[in-house]
Amino acid sequence: MAEEAGIPTISLGNMPDRIGHIKPPRVLLTKFPRGSMFGEPGNVRRQRRIVLDALEGLKTISEPGTVLETPYRWGQPDPE
Amino acid sequence: MPMDLEQFKTSYDRWVAESLPAYQAGDMKEIVKRYPFVISKGVPWTPYQGRPAEQTVALITSGGVYLKSSQPPFNTESIHGDPSFREIPRNVRQRDIAFAHAHYDHSQAEQDFNVILPLQRLVELEAEGIVGKVADTHYSFSYVNDIVPLVTVSVPQVIRRLEAEKVDILLLVPV
Repeated sequence: MAEEAGIPTISLGNMPDRIGHIKPPRVLLTKFPRGSMFGEPGNVRRQRRIVLDALEGLKTISEPGTVLETPYRWGQPDPE
Repeated sequence: MPMDLEQFKTSYDRWVAESLPAYQAGDMKEIVKRYPFVISKGVPWTPYQGRPAEQTVALITSGGVYLKSSQPPFNTESIHGDPSFREIPRNVRQRDIAFAHAHYDHSQAEQDFNVILPLQRLVELEAEGIVGKVADTHYSFSYVNDIVPLVTVSVPQVIRRLEAEKVDILLLVPV
């Protein structure tokens, strides 16, 4: 409904098939629990990284319904 | 979102009648499978233009967050859920908030709300000039099954407030 009002959105998600009912226009997928999709409590660097990935996704996604994956794993350092 | 609310209401009322005993027993798995999800026709879309460094961003969570000293908790008893929302200020602190949502594990967010509502991360990015402005007001919803009041009342209210604050970008974080 926000998109219809002219406000672009990007959604976090963690399960590609659950997204299927709702079809958000842009999705950033993390492999983290529903209650912690920006990463571990206190992991400031990771939370910031995921926020930046979401902002980047707004720019790069050109196809409605695109789902972007992220490489972060709980309890493990960020790749590269 | 083009949605047949009449059709939803009919399926939803039937789902409530069939599901109430299981809901009251806390047996969510089966009733979730039969819930009459509204299947979107197409994908809503507004093209993104501009740069975050010049724009205002807001967050919306469905994690049942509320300000414990000034706002009532969401209703966590009713099978209908709670279609209302709470306004969460950009400078909220961990000790200001509580959680009213019986259907996800909020123990991580109780330690660090940024794991579902990364407002402090956004404020840092604003200070660095990576985000133009973090909106003064963000929004929390909670667990909702009856989407009629959600889509006819609450969501339009939130959209009007987002427009009044000239929000350019919305980050949606379900739980």
